[in-house]
Amino acid sequence: MAGSQDMFDAIVMADDRFHGEGYQEGYEEGSTLGIIEGRQHGTLHGAKIGSEIGCYQGFAFAWRCLLHTCAAEKDREAAIAAPMNRFALGRLPRVTEGSRDWQGLRSKKMKVLESLIGLIEKFPYDDPTYDKLHEDLDRIRGKFKQLCSLLNVQPDFKISVEGSGLSF
Amino acid sequence: MGLFPSTKCLPPAISAPARTTSCSPPRRPCRTEGRGPARSALTFQQIRVHVAQHVGDPQLLAGTGATVDVQPGRLGEGGAQRRDGQGAWQRRGQATLRLLGQSAASRAPPPAPAGQPCASGGVHTRGRPPLLRGRCWSPPTSAGRTEPACPGEESNALGSRQAAMKDSLVLLGRVPAHPDSRCWFLAWNPAGTLLASCGGDRRVRIWGTEGDSWICKSVLSEGHQRTVRKVAWSPCGNYLASASFDATTCIWKKNQDDFECVTTLEGHENEVKSVAWAPSGNLLATCSRDKSVWVWEVDEEDEYECVSVLNSHTQDVKHVVWHPNQELLASASYDDTVKLYREEEDDWVCCATLEGHESTVWSLAFDPSGQRLASCSDDRTVRIWRQYPPGNEQGVACSGSDPSWKCICTLSGFHSRTIYDVAWCQLTGALATACGDDAIRVFEEDPSSDPQQPTFSLTAHLPQAHSQDVNCVAWNPKEPGLLASCSDDGEVAFWKYQRPEGL
Repeated sequence: MAGSQDMFDAIVMADDRFHGEGYQEGYEEGSTLGIIEGRQHGTLHGAKIGSEIGCYQGFAFAWRCLLHTCAAEKDREAAIAAPMNRFALGRLPRVTEGSRDWQGLRSKKMKVLESLIGLIEKFPYDDPTYDKLHEDLDRIRGKFKQLCSLLNVQPDFKISVEGSGLSF
Repeated sequence: MGLFPSTKCLPPAISAPARTTSCSPPRRPCRTEGRGPARSALTFQQIRVHVAQHVGDPQLLAGTGATVDVQPGRLGEGGAQRRDGQGAWQRRGQATLRLLGQSAASRAPPPAPAGQPCASGGVHTRGRPPLLRGRCWSPPTSAGRTEPACPGEESNALGSRQAAMKDSLVLLGRVPAHPDSRCWFLAWNPAGTLLASCGGDRRVRIWGTEGDSWICKSVLSEGHQRTVRKVAWSPCGNYLASASFDATTCIWKKNQDDFECVTTLEGHENEVKSVAWAPSGNLLATCSRDKSVWVWEVDEEDEYECVSVLNSHTQDVKHVVWHPNQELLASASYDDTVKLYREEEDDWVCCATLEGHESTVWSLAFDPSGQRLASCSDDRTVRIWRQYPPGNEQGVACSGSDPSWKCICTLSGFHSRTIYDVAWCQLTGALATACGDDAIRVFEEDPSSDPQQPTFSLTAHLPQAHSQDVNCVAWNPKEPGLLASCSDDGEVAFWKYQRPEGL
């Protein structure tokens, strides 16, 4: 009796069985394909973000070096010019940036530079599930724009994640 | 025309689109047809009355319940019936309508009881002319008509109330500020003597009084390459900032009657939508279509530097405004939210997000004390938000040391289109709105209402204030009741607002 039940089971449930087996095979194949596609997708997006942040970092490092050398030069010039000023009654050109105390402005730039570098270095590059990913990226972008404004530099390289500047 | 009568008069079998499923003979369309189910029965009645009048049979007339005074000889006036049928019909129609009006009004459902707070936070004030002020009620069931609560007497009160509301806002003068283009924004200087207007013609104009009229004192034309969207005076009155669609903000310095552009602030990627000075005079905020809000600091030597770039919004930021006494910045955006920012450890952070509007928030205004914020939106409502500091006695939960903001009042049903601007008078506390339906409205808070759940009632409504959308309303900071408005038609209008008696 048990044997005949099994035999009929095999025939009657054949449809379901094949369905299930097919589903399993498809699921596994789909998973592997999905992983491959996801990897490509992730590579692409990660590369975009990485290139953008890398760009900001390179920019920040370069400007840090520039400001340091600039500061060193100005220190030297100021040291030379100081005693002469007393004689020339202020006829010599004073070392200023605009009309402001260049020390103050430079320190502001340095502060923003350092904070940008700090933000970039603190960013977790290996954790795509970091919950504050977009907020931190926005903060980095904001700091970068502020730095450009302070340095009087127009960032003319187009960053594709921002999209085009179409105005209607 | 012609031989055949119109299809409406043909029996249903012949007319091509056989809409009528019943077999009743087609009725001649009456003027009152289509106004709701209550009417169709009366239409038949009306026919009876008309027939009775035509025949002049008093017995037939008595059967209809009509008590109107009809002279049967009236039919003879106005010539033969066919030729003057329209006119004669109309005359009779008017008499009949009056009759019908009374009987319909007696069926009006009473309004729902007042004082029901709605789920959407605070008290929901629905507006309906005639304005029974205050709270939630369900609309009357008959479609389209505004039924007075008690028949007969209320119609007079309605008329006088609407008339009072029109008189409370009186036109003082109009100037064609920006001919052939839009006037986008107006700003009074802190002394209340000058009005700056900006427009689509890329110019900023300064207006001042000369006797009774307003004249253009200067034109600032070389500052921008595209539309100037907003202007703002510094608290000292010596500087004027103008924000333009060319992504720059110009700062103009005033010497006597002349203005000179001292700096141009750049950095935004596309159109700058708004600019605002902090009350301390040291900070300036700009916002733009690139979704960012920039905070600038200015020192004594007129040097501007960017202190922070805030990317909190997810869409175009439309308006920024500073708190009157704290260093708190509010911004309104196309993403339906209002965000508040303050300075924390040398950097600006977003400390609160106000959600509740269902569409773009166009403008913001703080009340004179700074406790409340009004926001107006494309969803045709004005929302009032209140600040609750930590440890408040109402028991509103706050996270950390940041105060939390709750919506305490929503004004809906008053505006039929997008509300583009809201202005809170710093002297009287009146709230003015500029709407896309060409009207200006003024609201005042009821003095007896609970401060935690205030109610505002409409005290002035001017339907055709301008010939196109009203873009901005601005209260004069020194003269109570003086209101300026500007519109897409390029004109600036000056109004005198007086709170009407008895409202």
